[in-house]
Amino acid sequence: MNTIQDIQAGIVEEFAVFTDWMDKYEYLIELGKGMPLIDEKDKTDEHLIKGCQSRVWLACKPENGRLRFSADSDAIITKGIISLLLKVYDNQTPADILAANEDFIEQIGLKENLSPTRANGLVSMIATIKEYARRGIPGQARDEGGHDRKELEPDIIAALRNVYDPEIPVNVYDLGLIYEIQADADGVVFVKMTLTAPNCPIADEVVAQVQEAVADVPGVKEVQVDLVFEPEWTTDRMSEEAKLELGML
Amino acid sequence: MEVRPLFPALDRQIYGKPLIYFDNAATAQRPRSVLELQDRMCVEANGNIHRAVHRLSADATELYEAGREAVRRFINAPARENVVFTSGTTASINLVASCFAERYLTPGDRILISEAEHHSNLVSWQLACERHGASLEVLPVDEDGDIALPELERRLQAAEGRIKLVALAHISNVLGVVNPVREVVDIAHRHAVPVLLDGAQGVVHAPVDVQALNCDFYAFSGHKIYAPTGIGVLYGKRKWLDAMPPYMGGGEMIETVSFEKTTYAPLPLKFEAGTQNYVAAACMAPALELAQRMAEDEALQAAQRTMRDYLLEELRKIDGLRLYGTPREAERKIPLFSFAVEGAFAGDLAQILDKMGIAVRSGHMCAEPLLRRYGQTSLLRASLAPYNTLAECETFVASLRRAIKMLR
Repeated sequence: MNTIQDIQAGIVEEFAVFTDWMDKYEYLIELGKGMPLIDEKDKTDEHLIKGCQSRVWLACKPENGRLRFSADSDAIITKGIISLLLKVYDNQTPADILAANEDFIEQIGLKENLSPTRANGLVSMIATIKEYARRGIPGQARDEGGHDRKELEPDIIAALRNVYDPEIPVNVYDLGLIYEIQADADGVVFVKMTLTAPNCPIADEVVAQVQEAVADVPGVKEVQVDLVFEPEWTTDRMSEEAKLELGML
Repeated sequence: MEVRPLFPALDRQIYGKPLIYFDNAATAQRPRSVLELQDRMCVEANGNIHRAVHRLSADATELYEAGREAVRRFINAPARENVVFTSGTTASINLVASCFAERYLTPGDRILISEAEHHSNLVSWQLACERHGASLEVLPVDEDGDIALPELERRLQAAEGRIKLVALAHISNVLGVVNPVREVVDIAHRHAVPVLLDGAQGVVHAPVDVQALNCDFYAFSGHKIYAPTGIGVLYGKRKWLDAMPPYMGGGEMIETVSFEKTTYAPLPLKFEAGTQNYVAAACMAPALELAQRMAEDEALQAAQRTMRDYLLEELRKIDGLRLYGTPREAERKIPLFSFAVEGAFAGDLAQILDKMGIAVRSGHMCAEPLLRRYGQTSLLRASLAPYNTLAECETFVASLRRAIKMLR
């Protein structure tokens, strides 16, 4: 699997051969024409990003911890640029997507296309890609600058795997109760979680256990737990192992 | 009359190619006379108008009022009281939508507009209607972009007095067709309904005599007629301007102020609260002076008609190109062309043309309902001014053909 940096460097190299605007546009148009279209059924208002100049559709689905994007636009140059962006972002992990930037667009001389004044939907499209990445996978941190968070994360997850809902023989992490883990460089950890039912009589106890377990992880200075019931937990959030354990598979 | 040298912006090179500026309906370039007055006033007469006794203020006030007098003459308004300065067409329409509605609109009433209105002459009325429990009545346009006068008559008849105002573009910014506004005013007045004309395009391309038109309001912007941005005009008949409450409260719109009661300044200052854009207002004088000279120059007018006819003919030759706003009488068409091309999206065309040095507009043109009526989401628009040339039109057509070929 190529890294985002490799792909971006490749695109910059490809564009280096164009000396003329028209050649560059010809190429973008070819890319746009060749781009696999979004599934017609995904070309819905829900996936529509509206600009004054052109419209863009973007759909996203997770696949093996990576995000798969498909997109379309009614403008073909916009579509060409979308195909460059998807080359970069499609089939990458949420963390890599969040860590990446779009400087390569400027390097290939198409920066004006990402100007908010263009109103072609591309700026909103990138924001939407990042938003998908942010929501992507439980355990994905929001903080882009914190290098420590990646080192802390496996330990935090390991700690959470020791916390059990007393009525279910599966730990809270594999049950899918943990919606979000954010750790900043200062060791402050934010956990967003839910419970299997809003009226859970032992809610406080489980939250306290999560708090304790994470606080014990070396490097963690402070823990904040946010208990939410939106979105609602369903059995779909359970890991394969958890389902197996509970005889659901 | 040689006009190109009067507009320094036209000398520019864009991406190494000579600029062809075909987006005049969005904003026009400014002549030296305007730029010079703008500069000179900022240096020599930058004092807040109507207020202080000092020399700078007096000079600025004089230039500001000279701008108003130039506007009055240009549209043949009866008196300076009829000419209110605003920030632009949108502000002028909003002023009426707010103040006229406040005074005259009651629940169940309607405002009649056409299907071809710019959002400025649509959303402002929608807002007014929402505030007063009224609604919009929309007069359709046909395939050619024309409104039907008998239909207008029928709607007014059927409304039995519930239509309180007709708000119509003199010339639509998408269709470029001169509406039969004189007839519209006559019909509306027979039903005792006042008429507001959105003259953003009209004032540039049609001779406007508000007394001959007999319209009740006429709104337009300075920047489309060679003046700076940030200045606009609302012409109104005395009876309405007198009856309408003030728009904004503030400085200069008052006569006396106390905490119990404020009395308002006489027209037109009643509607000019706050510091006005007096530099831009003053620049209306040289801008309109040039507009007048260009309108009276027969050779220049003939050249404009030639360009219009050339583009009409050449655009129609392009395979898969659908032109909107095509009246049977060519005389009613201004040199403004909005179109869609099969297999070549308008935004893409505009982007490629830009790289060829050609400035055109693409998108929904602030007239979404009209585009929807024609089943489009985006059009390309080329709009010309008297400083454009036939050679530019030829380059435009050739470049357009090339861009279409790239995209198909």
